[in-house]
Order: sequence, then C-alpha cells, then structure tokens
Amino acid sequence: MTATLNTPTTTTDRTNRLKSTRQGGRMVADYWEDLFTARERGKQIVWYNGGALNPIFQAAGLAWCHGEAFAARLAAQGLEGPAQLAGAEHGYNAELCSYSRTHLGCAVLTVQGDEGINTGVVGAHDQAELAARLPAPDFFVNNYAGCSTGQQWDEISYRVFDKEVPIFNISHPFLWGNKPDAGYLTGEEWESASYYVRDQLLALITWLEERTGNPFDWDMLRESMTYIKRAAELRREGLELCKAKPAPATFWDWISAIAPINFLPGNQELVDYFESVRDEIQDRVDKGISGVENEKYRVYFDGIMNWNKLGFLSRKFAEHGVAVLAGRYITNAFWQEPQLIDTDDPLLGMAQHYLLCPTNHGTKTLDYLTLRDCEEYDVDGIVFHSTRTCRAFTGPQRLLARSAQNNLGIPSIFFEGDVADASFYKEEILESRLAAMLEGIDVKRTQAS
Amino acid sequence: MSRGAAALEALRAVARDPRSHIEAWRSAHPEGKVLGVLPMNFPRELAHAAGVMAVIVPDDQQPVTEGRAFLPEFYCGYTRNLADQAATGRFDQYDGLFVADHCIQLLGSADVVRALEPDRRVFLGQLISSLSDSWAGQKTAQMMSLLRTEVESFAGTTIDDDALRASIASFNRDRDLMRQIFDARAGGDVSYSPVDLQDIVASAQIMDPDEHHALLSDVVAERQFLPRDERIRVHLSGHLCHAPRRELLEVIEEVGAVIVDDDLWTGRRYLQAGMDESLAPMDALAKWYAGRNTALPCPTRVQHDVDWDAWLLDAVKRSDAEAVVHLMPKFCEPHMLFYPELRRALDEAGVPQLLIETEHEGIPLESFRTRLEALIERTHRNRPAYA
Repeated sequence: MTATLNTPTTTTDRTNRLKSTRQGGRMVADYWEDLFTARERGKQIVWYNGGALNPIFQAAGLAWCHGEAFAARLAAQGLEGPAQLAGAEHGYNAELCSYSRTHLGCAVLTVQGDEGINTGVVGAHDQAELAARLPAPDFFVNNYAGCSTGQQWDEISYRVFDKEVPIFNISHPFLWGNKPDAGYLTGEEWESASYYVRDQLLALITWLEERTGNPFDWDMLRESMTYIKRAAELRREGLELCKAKPAPATFWDWISAIAPINFLPGNQELVDYFESVRDEIQDRVDKGISGVENEKYRVYFDGIMNWNKLGFLSRKFAEHGVAVLAGRYITNAFWQEPQLIDTDDPLLGMAQHYLLCPTNHGTKTLDYLTLRDCEEYDVDGIVFHSTRTCRAFTGPQRLLARSAQNNLGIPSIFFEGDVADASFYKEEILESRLAAMLEGIDVKRTQAS
Repeated sequence: MSRGAAALEALRAVARDPRSHIEAWRSAHPEGKVLGVLPMNFPRELAHAAGVMAVIVPDDQQPVTEGRAFLPEFYCGYTRNLADQAATGRFDQYDGLFVADHCIQLLGSADVVRALEPDRRVFLGQLISSLSDSWAGQKTAQMMSLLRTEVESFAGTTIDDDALRASIASFNRDRDLMRQIFDARAGGDVSYSPVDLQDIVASAQIMDPDEHHALLSDVVAERQFLPRDERIRVHLSGHLCHAPRRELLEVIEEVGAVIVDDDLWTGRRYLQAGMDESLAPMDALAKWYAGRNTALPCPTRVQHDVDWDAWLLDAVKRSDAEAVVHLMPKFCEPHMLFYPELRRALDEAGVPQLLIETEHEGIPLESFRTRLEALIERTHRNRPAYA
C-alpha cells in the first residue's frame, strides 16, 4: 500500500523489450474499457478468481472480471492504494494476500460507494484515482487451485455483498503426489482429479444456464478454445526460442504477454498477437538480437510477479547483464500444455490446465519442473521472489533452491517483495544479493577456465 | 495430592511434554506405530481402530532455528514450528504424517517433512472444503474411504467395522466429557482455569481417548462448582489450529477478566461435534466432518449458509459474555479474511472486542496487558450503574 521510490538505475537502459507485446497492451486496455461499459450494453458480469474460465463465460454470453488480474492491473499502474486503504479500513490485515486485499477493497468500495449499488459502478468518488470503473458482479465463480486462500477470498466477497450475488465454487484436488505413479501429467491422481474438475465445469455450465436464462453456446466454446489452443502453441514456440543464446526475449517480455493469454477472448486477434510475438522472437534469433544488451548471465525467476516493479526489475537485471529468461510463473502456467486441449471436446483439457496452476503441485513435481527448465534454458542461477503475501508461491522455494544447488550446482538468491503491495519490496537486499550471486558465478567460471 | 489433582497433573504433563508421553507409549507398544496428523479434520478414530497411536502434532513451542531454512518467516508460527521439528530431528517420533486439510501453509510444512524425512509416509487425503456443493457429501465419503485404506496400509492391518465403532464411541465419550466441562463454564462454573482447560484439550489431542477419559473422569469427580465473580466475562475467539501461549491466557484473567467460553482449537473447536453412533461407522465419519462446521463454523471451510459471526453472537449470548478477544495467529489467512465479518457483527451487536495478533516467539505481553486493560475498562462502562 505504501509506495516506494524506484531507485534510478545508474546506467542507461540495457533492455531490449519486444515491440510486439505493445499490441497486447492495447488489446488489454480495450478489454477493460469494454468491461467497464458492459452494464450499459446489457451484459451480465461475473467476477472470478483462479484458472482461466473466460472461454466458458464467453460462451455463456457474460462479461468477465478476473480478480487477480484486476488487482495486478491496479498495482502495475500504481493505482492500488485506494482499494487497499478501503480494505484496511474494513479490517483486512496488511499481511493478507495483497491480490485479495486489493480486490476485496474494490468490493468494499462498490458496496459503500454512494452510487455504487444503484449504478453498479465501483465507488464513484474514487473512480478517477482508481481508474477502476469496475461494474458490480451478477455472479461469483471461484476456480482456485493450489492456494487455499483463493476459495476463502471469494466466499468473503460473497459475504461483503451480503450474500446477494450467487456464487459457484470449483474444488481442485491439490496434486500432492501420494502414489509412486504420481508425476507431472501422469498417474492415477492426475487422471481422477482431471475428471473431477471436468465434471464440475459441466455443473458450472448448467448453473450459468439456469441463472442467465441463456442456453450455453457449445460451438462458441469450441471455437474460442481452438483460438486459445493455437495462441498457446505459438506462445510455447516463442518460449522455446528463448532457449537460444543470447536469449532473444526475456521473462519480462512474457510477463507483459500474460494478460492476453490469461483472460482475453479466444479469437483470431489473440492468435495474431501471439503469432507476431513468436515471429519477432524468431526474427531476433535469426539476426542474433538479444533481449538484454551484452547478455552475460542467464537466470531463472521463481515466484509470482511483483506487479508494482515490472519495468524497474527488467531494467535492474539488464543493468547487470542478466537475462532473466524463464520462470515458473510463465513457463509453467497459462495454457502451457496446449496438446491437452481437444478442441472438439475441450472441457477435460481446460480442467487439466486449471489443475496445472503452478501453486497446485507438491514440491516433488515443482522440483522436476524447475530442474528441467534450468537445464533446458542453461541458466547460471535462480532468483527467488520471496513474495510476502503469497504463501502458495513461496512455500516450496527453499526446498527448490536446495535442490538446484545440490543437483545442478546452480546458486540462488532470494529477494523480498510482493504481488501488489510495493511496501514489501526491499531494494538494497536485491541489489546486494544479486551482485554477490553474479560475483560467485564469475568466480566459478574463472575456476572452470 | 488428591486423585483428581493427580489426574489433572498427569494430563498437564502430557500436554506440556508430549514427546515423553509418546516415548512411553512406544516402550509399552514396541510393535506399535505412531502417526502424526495435522489439524483440523483428520478422523483419528480410523487410526485408533487400526491400533495406531494418532497424535495431532502440537506446536512444541520451541524457538524456530533450523526450520528457518525451509519456510519463510511469513508462514504462521505453527507451520514454521513443524518445519523446525522436521529440520532438527524432533519429528522422528512419528512414523508417518497424514493431512486431511487443504491449508497452503500446512501443506508447505508437510512438504518440508516429506523432503527431510523421505522414509516416512506423508499422505494428503484432501477433504472437500466447499461444503455447500451438492456433491460435497459424496466426495467426503469417498475421501474417508481412501483415508481408511491408507491408514490400513500404514498400519499393516485391516480396520474392522466393530473396532471402528468402538473407537468412535471412545472418542465420543471423551469429547462428551470435555464438552460438559466447557458447557458448565459457559453456564457459570469457573472451577477450571483457562490454562487447565487448554491442558485438558491439548492432552486429548495426543492421548488414547480411553486413557484420557479415565484421567479426566477422576478430575471431574472432584469438581466443585465455583461460580463466576464480578470480573468482566470474556469469550476467546480464534487460534484455529494450535494452542495460544499459556501466559497469554493467564494475563487475560490477571487484568480483570474471566474467560467464560471460547472457540479455540485447544478448546471448544476440538470437541464441539461428536459422531453419530447410530450410523454405519464410515457414514458417521463423513457426517461428523460435515457437521463440525455447523457445530462450530470454521473460516477454512466454505459453506454459504453457515456463519462464524452468527455462531459467535449466539455463543456470547449463551455464556453471557460481555466482550470478545480475538486471538489471531500472525499470517493465518482464513482468520485474516473472516475477521472483518466478526468485527462487523460484534460492532452491530454492541459487544466490545479486541484483536490480538499472536506470534510464535516473542509475545509482547505487557503491551497486550495494556490493551486488555483498556478493553476491560471499556466493557465496564457497558454495565448498568446502580445507585
């Protein structure tokens, strides 16, 4: 909630960000504008959290607002303050998940706003500051895997609105890995969980039909999932290309491309966008253009994004010649296994992606994914974003760091920050630890040569 | 020392030194297995029926040292303590660890145990937490069945239905007796201090229910009704899955309050719901799980028509409490999320309240004392003034 000053970097900007992601920014801005006026166009609105249910909402004729995305947007624009203050005044503790605090703060503003109840617009008095003309919900749907707080958060939203807005919960088994056959995308646990969630999606569709009075458009679901599958394939191709040396694009470029894959409608524009991203990366590979000027180190990033510091962090790492080129939040999330999607019958593949939330695995599987990615991207070190209010992401990090050191000899550092609360970011800790790790990598290289 | 006093002392000893009690059990049962279980909803009856000693792993209140290397400092004190127990070898008294609840922090600590104790079985049998869903009953029954199978595998034996019925009866009997004491307290009998009551419940979470019941019966046999005095009547709320520090309970009463009821894990929350012995035993386990949240709502469960705030207001009326003290373990997200609902309900009802955030280490007791004194002063003003 407390803003911190971005310490100016001491050298010129050494990042070379993708140009194509700017188009994604425009698409996302248009999406929000469209959502803000959805009520005026007679649309019903759903607030949801967790996995990307937007294709289902699209086929149900709804407008949708992803709670985490909205909180991230506010934080990235430095506009989270009023919502977080409203949440704090309502009684939410500053140590609570800052996504939920921000989003619940919006809910509180909606309920408290002088005109909010009547117009369905979040706290009219705070609109200018919030830049958040978020319409009040007609439905809540919770689709949270991994973090136990997610389901509780939407239940509290339901209560903030005095239980007057219908809510639907989808329960996700945590992929703990009880049995010897359990593994990534394999084993009885994976199979049974997939069908359990698929069945709940069917129940959700029936629930939406009953409440909207509209028949569900299955053809539209198949169509949008066809576009999303293609976009996801292009995204994966782009991620694969980033294994090149020097890396043609970075983690920060992919962070900029999260919103489109996470909640924009499945359509040709989405495919075109990821095609342009993939093509720009391919062009860079062909021409030997790197995402960071004079790439010297290759680093993996574990942790959820620090949305307050996106641009700042990209410049900071580049200043040290560090290409942050992969990370759990992009490599192992957001329709990351498109081959699972059967476009004729997409629900099972969708359910599986919801289960593949990067916080929904036991450490055994996360360890497999992290070591695999570190080897494939040939990284020199790992940076762990110790995300103060995201216990789901941070829980396994120390075990992952230990494993990377023991199994691959890869060093790591931790820096403190948060998803949507800048006050937890510790600039000097990151600077000193990063410098130390890079120095250690230099020493290791010298010894090896 | 009287028989009752000796029995209370024995329960106190188990509550405060569970390790010695477990070691004694092992000596007496050299072939037996000890299963650690994490709060809140694993049915210990299953393990008991299989001849396994099932212990709800307590926060052993040791400072977190080596465990700091495995979980971040912004995990709750209980889970960091569990990680520390694993990191320093204090977990070696358990042959396995079973978890039935999806709390991301609990799972984080269980993952540390799994990493550091690879030879021990660490099993998650996740009970559905969204209890309003039409399929919740079926999923609960399925999970209870899976838990039974896994306990059988762990114990190396099959669980006989009659043995399970007997275990259910044993735990019920013990819970019933504890509930009588808590109900008596809510009705005006303060013959046991809050620390005594915490020791009684904490020991029940460790001991065999029959052994615990026998000792508790001796304690209760000597009970003499002790009416409340004129101190401010306080309800304690929170600490959902581990015990608050004893000194905190003591200071609440030192400042002029008398604790008349609670919804703490080492209090009424543990014992409020029993199992229906008229049902088939597996049905009883499933119904018990669903019924626990209506008997005493928990913010870790999602059930739209069940309200912790409403339960709290009813409890306050039942016990004639004049104020509520919320004990919130730092970083407990379900409690942080639900707290404004509690605050709003109590404010609207005109019940004075105080939030105290507790930490695993370093309780600022004198700061708490000052705040508690202010609450007591404020609550005194609510009392009618007599000429």
